Formats: sequence, C-alpha cells, structure tokens
Amino acid sequence: MGCSSSLPGRSSGRLGGLNSSESGGVPDAKNLRVKLVLLGDSGVGKSCIVLRFVRGQFDPTSKVTVGASFLSQTIALQDSTTVKFEIWDTAGQERYAALAPLYYRGAAVAVIVYDITNPDSFNKAQYWVKELQKHGSADIVMALVGNKADLHEKREVPAQDGLEYAEKQGMFFIETSAKTADNINQLFEEIGKRLPRPSSSSS
Amino acid sequence: MSSSDSPSSSSAEENPNTKEIEDQLATVVLTESNEDKFQECSSDTASASNNHGENNHDEGVEKSSSKVVWGRVNSELELEGPPSPSSSGYAGGRGTSSASSTSIVDEVSEDEIQEVGNGSAIEGATDSHESWMPGKRHVDEDDASISWRKRKKHFFALSNAGKPIYSRYGDEHKLAGFSATLQAIISFVENGGDCIKLVRAGKHQVVFLVKGPIYLVCISCTEEPYESLKGQLELIYGQMILILTKSINRCFEKNPKFDMTPLLGGTDVVFSSLIHSFSWNPATFLHAYTCLPLAYATRQAAGAILQDVADSGVLFAILMCKHKVVSLVGAQKASLHPDDMLLLSNFLMSSESFRTSESFSPICLPRYNPVAFLYAYVHYFDVDTYLVLLTTSSDAFYHLKECRIRIETVLLKSSVLSEVQRSILEGGMRVEDLPIDPVPHSGSLSPHLGHHKPPTDSPERIKESFGGIGGPAGLWHFMYRSIFLDQYVSSEFSPPINSPRQQKRLYRAYHKIYASMHDQGIGPHKTQFRRDENYVLLCWATQDFELYATFDPLADKALAIKICNRRWVL
Repeated sequence: MGCSSSLPGRSSGRLGGLNSSESGGVPDAKNLRVKLVLLGDSGVGKSCIVLRFVRGQFDPTSKVTVGASFLSQTIALQDSTTVKFEIWDTAGQERYAALAPLYYRGAAVAVIVYDITNPDSFNKAQYWVKELQKHGSADIVMALVGNKADLHEKREVPAQDGLEYAEKQGMFFIETSAKTADNINQLFEEIGKRLPRPSSSSS
Repeated sequence: MSSSDSPSSSSAEENPNTKEIEDQLATVVLTESNEDKFQECSSDTASASNNHGENNHDEGVEKSSSKVVWGRVNSELELEGPPSPSSSGYAGGRGTSSASSTSIVDEVSEDEIQEVGNGSAIEGATDSHESWMPGKRHVDEDDASISWRKRKKHFFALSNAGKPIYSRYGDEHKLAGFSATLQAIISFVENGGDCIKLVRAGKHQVVFLVKGPIYLVCISCTEEPYESLKGQLELIYGQMILILTKSINRCFEKNPKFDMTPLLGGTDVVFSSLIHSFSWNPATFLHAYTCLPLAYATRQAAGAILQDVADSGVLFAILMCKHKVVSLVGAQKASLHPDDMLLLSNFLMSSESFRTSESFSPICLPRYNPVAFLYAYVHYFDVDTYLVLLTTSSDAFYHLKECRIRIETVLLKSSVLSEVQRSILEGGMRVEDLPIDPVPHSGSLSPHLGHHKPPTDSPERIKESFGGIGGPAGLWHFMYRSIFLDQYVSSEFSPPINSPRQQKRLYRAYHKIYASMHDQGIGPHKTQFRRDENYVLLCWATQDFELYATFDPLADKALAIKICNRRWVL
C-alpha cells in the first residue's frame, strides 16, 4: 500500500520535534534530546522493552502495537549529561513496514530488536539494518538487541551470531530481558554514551 | 388502527419530572457543534396524517423460504437441497458422525460455542457482555472438527483465488480447502454472469458478498434476516479497509494468488470485537451513533475546544467514552459517516496498545475515502475516555500532540472528564424513570400515532397493570434514531431484560423488525405493531426519526401507542 512518508523538517533531526510540551530551553551539550525508533519483527518485545525502560513495568499479555506509540524518558549519564529519549515504538506487523520511514526518518538512534528464540526475527532484524543503512540518517546510532534472554533454554540464535553481525555492521550489541529487566537500562545508557555530542559552539 | 388521532391528551396536568427528563434528552440529541441545531420535527403535519398506515403485523411475518435466491434469475442453475460441497461439507451437509446431533445445536438460540452433547451451560456464560474475551477462539479447529461445524455463526473472508483471509473460528490456513469450495460456488455463479447472494440450506443461511477481489461469506443458523447478515459482512469488509485501505486490491491485481493474511496479522481482536458488537451494539444495524448523556454546558465546553483544534487543520476531532460520542467536530464540509465512527471506535477500543501510550497510526475511513490513509493521533485520558484527532498529514504528530495537551487542559479545567466519568457510571436512560403521564408537547403539529380511541387511563392504571416491571404501559426498552442527526438514543437494559442472552435475543428481534421496516419489497413501512410470545414490538418511522419500542407481550395496544406518542425524546 503505497504510503508517502515524509517527516517534516520540524519533527526530524537530531534534537527531535521542536515542541513537546516541556521543551524549555535550547538543548545543549549537557541536555540532549534524541529521537529513537524501535524496529523489529512483531512479537519480539519492542513494546515490552520500552515499557520496562520508561515505566518499569512488564506485562506478559501480548498487546499488538498499532501504528506506533510515542513515549519519552530522560536518563542521567555518569558524566552528568542528561539524555531525553523520544521513543517511537513501531508496530512489527508486516502492513506497517511500508510506513516505517514515517517513524525512522530523522531518528538519531535506531534500536533493532529480535527474539533470541526466533531465528526468523533475527533475519528480519538484518533486513531493518540494511534498510536503515540505505534510508536512515547518515550518522544514526544503531543498536542490535537480542531480547527474551531469560528464555535461554529455548535459545535458537547464539549470542555469538548477534555479536558478530553487529560488529560487522558497526553496531552496538546487547542481549536483554524485558521480563527480568536484565540489561534494559544498560542498553539505553550505552546508547546515551555513544551519542555524538554537539559542540557547544554549534547552533 | 385508524387515523382519527387528535392530540386530545394534551390536557394532562404538569408532571414535575417531565421537564427534567426532556432536558436530559435534549442534550443527548444536541451534540454536535458542527451540525445545525436539532429541529423539533413539528413541520410535518401533512405527512403526519399519513403516518398511521394499516401496516400492523400482529404476528411475525413468515418470509418465503426459497432455497436459493439469486441476484437475478438464472435459468441455467438449479440447486436442489443443501448445497453442501462434498469436499468440505458444512454442518449437516455430509452424512458424518455429526449429523445425529445437529438438531440439538439448532435449537439453541445462541450463536456461540456448542460442544457436542454437553457444556452448553458453561459455554453460555462466556457469551455475556461482561465476561466476553476478545480475540480468536478455537484456533485448533478446522472444517473437519465437529465442534467447528456446530458453531452457529461463521464469518469468512477469502480472496477470489480461494485463499483464506479471515475466519471467525479456526485457523485460516487450515481452512484452505473450505475457502476454495466457497470460492468455487461464487465463481461458478459469476461465470454465468450472475451474482450469488444467498443460499438457504435447512436452517442455515449462507450469505455472500463480493467486494472486488475479496469475498465475504456468513454461514449462520441464527435466523437473522438476510439484510442484517449482509450488513454485518459489509462492516467486516469496512473494518478490513479501515486497516489496509482499498489499495489492497492492487496486490491482487499484481498477484492473484496473493496471501492477505499476513497483512491482517494481530487483528483478530478487532474482528472478534466487531462480530461481538453485532449482538449488543445497535449502531451496527441502525447506522447511527449514540452520544453520552451530558449537560448542555459540559458538551458545549468540549465542543468548543475541539472546534478550536479543528480550525487549526485537524480533519476530525472526536472525544469518545467507550462507544459513545462525547463530542465530535469536523473540518468544514467534512462529515463522518456513522459506520466509519463505529469501525473506528471498534478498532481503537479493541487494540489494547492505544491505552498504553499516545499513538500515531495510519487509519482509513472507508466511507470518507476508501483509498487513502488518514493519520490518527490517539490518546486515552482514562480507561474509557479517548481522543482521536484525524489528519491527512503524515507529519502532524507533534502538532496533534500539542493540540491534545491544549484539549486536556481545557477538559480538566471545565471538569468535562469527571462529568464524562459520572455519566458513564450513571448509564443512560431507563424506561422505569420515564414519567408515567408526561405532558405532551403543546404543539399540535407533531406527528402522532393514531388509535381509534385515545384511552382515558389514569397514571395509576398504567402503572398498576404491569406490576412495576419496566416502564409505563409495560415498556421494556426503546431505541430512537434521528435520521437528520445520524444519531440514536436507546434505553439501558432493565428488568426483565437482564441477561446478555435476553439482550441478544431482543437485538435479534430488532434486526428482524428493522429489516422488515426497511424492506423494499413489501415496505418500507411507516408503522408496525408486532406481538409474539416474547414481546410487543412497536415501530414508527417518519422522515425525521425511527422509534423502536419493546413492551411486555401482554401490553395493551392502545396504551402502547399512547406511550409512544409521548415525546420522551423529542
């Protein structure tokens, strides 16, 4: 279904949309605001990761995301910078694939999620990596996330495979469990560290 | 019934309750700030005197039960008996082990699960509105399962190549053979230059609807009229278009064997919730929407801020509580069809993710524009109350988010949200709260149901004759639809219509009488009075409104008509 997809200048770009309500002053090197998009097959746990990160909750009942949900969360890094993540949690369903550019256009960070118990979802993750390399922002920070790490007895994608693929693509790799909260905060802290800092003199 | 009506009862004394209730009703009707004011329908004197036709049907009208009804006559085709395809015979078709117990199932008036020989009591409980769980059940079944064949009401969607798209019960992929059979029936008739609409096979009706490359089929033994089942198929198709737009047709043009099921991934809850609503939501057959009762000032406050937002480039701004509209505003000249509203609210309420956080999603309104996506900003203010802002612009998210924040501030300040909560808790109108003997509107120009002898009953007699159950004159339930506003008001269910099962049965009765009122062959009718062992149903249609009222089966006809002439809603 052909969908034109253009995100406007004002909502794109490193510093996110110009106007979420609490946007106070001009973002600076110590207070970053970044647009982050989560991509990946349906059912891999994108929404669970976000809800664990933003609200500290985990809901085992599966709720299919429609379109994309928007959430935000601010973290403080050790070097006393704060990072406000404006998170687009996209639907993994096939019908929304054509609409993904609407959500990843202008994103500073892409978190690509697969399910370690599902090799198909790992293939799908690689598809998203290629798509973002082609059409994403040039300096986008990408993270590859193997979720459901608590289900190690059902593991079908070795951690080594994820790691090797991520290294080859110059991505950051981590395995997480939204259920146990394992590595969830670490994921976002690591992303925060890797964000390019705007030089204080730049506009 | 003769037409010797005179508004003679207008001399009744003032009832203090009357004014209050009429005020409430007026605000129910006076909702949309983008609509013209609701007009009292007092200008149809001429038609009023013609409105008391002799269209009484004191008994159910038995429809002719021809086995096969074709779109037009096709002499090439002669179907005799149940058209059960040998490869996938639907219940009762083939002489399988299920044949002996079919009759048991057919006697149950529910369309839900009937396990062979037992369990119907337990399963009956799952049918209630409160305990109903969304999502597909019985995915393990297929057309070889006896339990699958015994389901009272199936819905299918398939492609014109015979590929399954959707099945209410069972896994679509396992139903490939059955789908191919349905496709064969449809294309056999199509090849003859004809269009199949309905097949009757014993107690089963098989209703077909062809929508380009998508075929929809309902197989039902619920005795609902053809028009109702076809309307339900139309809504299921509309729900697909809402999710995918009509440009899905292009996928079939490119590849006739295109498999559409992956594109509907995760939408089982949407369809199961829509199908469930066929048995509880009058909007599914009245083609009108209903409003949450609110004080005039409260709705004005909500409407004003929504209008403000609509002026800033939002196509539709809708504030809803469950399936009831709190306020609705459209951009200039944009109007929202009630069916679109139904499909949209069904989609939003059945998809749990909208409740979790604000969302921005492509959505197509099939009646507004079936080939293009709109973008919906959705935000839940509380568990029941949500705001939808629709726009044509895919990049409007931040603007709409800002709009929502402005709206939320106003709604909180003017305590609209708490009023909405209070109203949803209180529920709608109750027949037992209707005044026993209200003052009719003074205008003598209003339409009036005629009866030869306006009975001179005291309020006491009306009340006593029905032992306090229901409303005046044994009124149990009513629905009033304003044609001009595309809105309806219905009373809450009250005793004796308590259980979900009884409610469903009443709606089925409404389906029947609605279809009969709108029947192009013998109708459309202006009035109908129909008595059976369960109810008296009284219907009254004018060019301005339709009234459907249910009474005690022993209700007095003259009293029932008298009650309907009192203008609770107008």
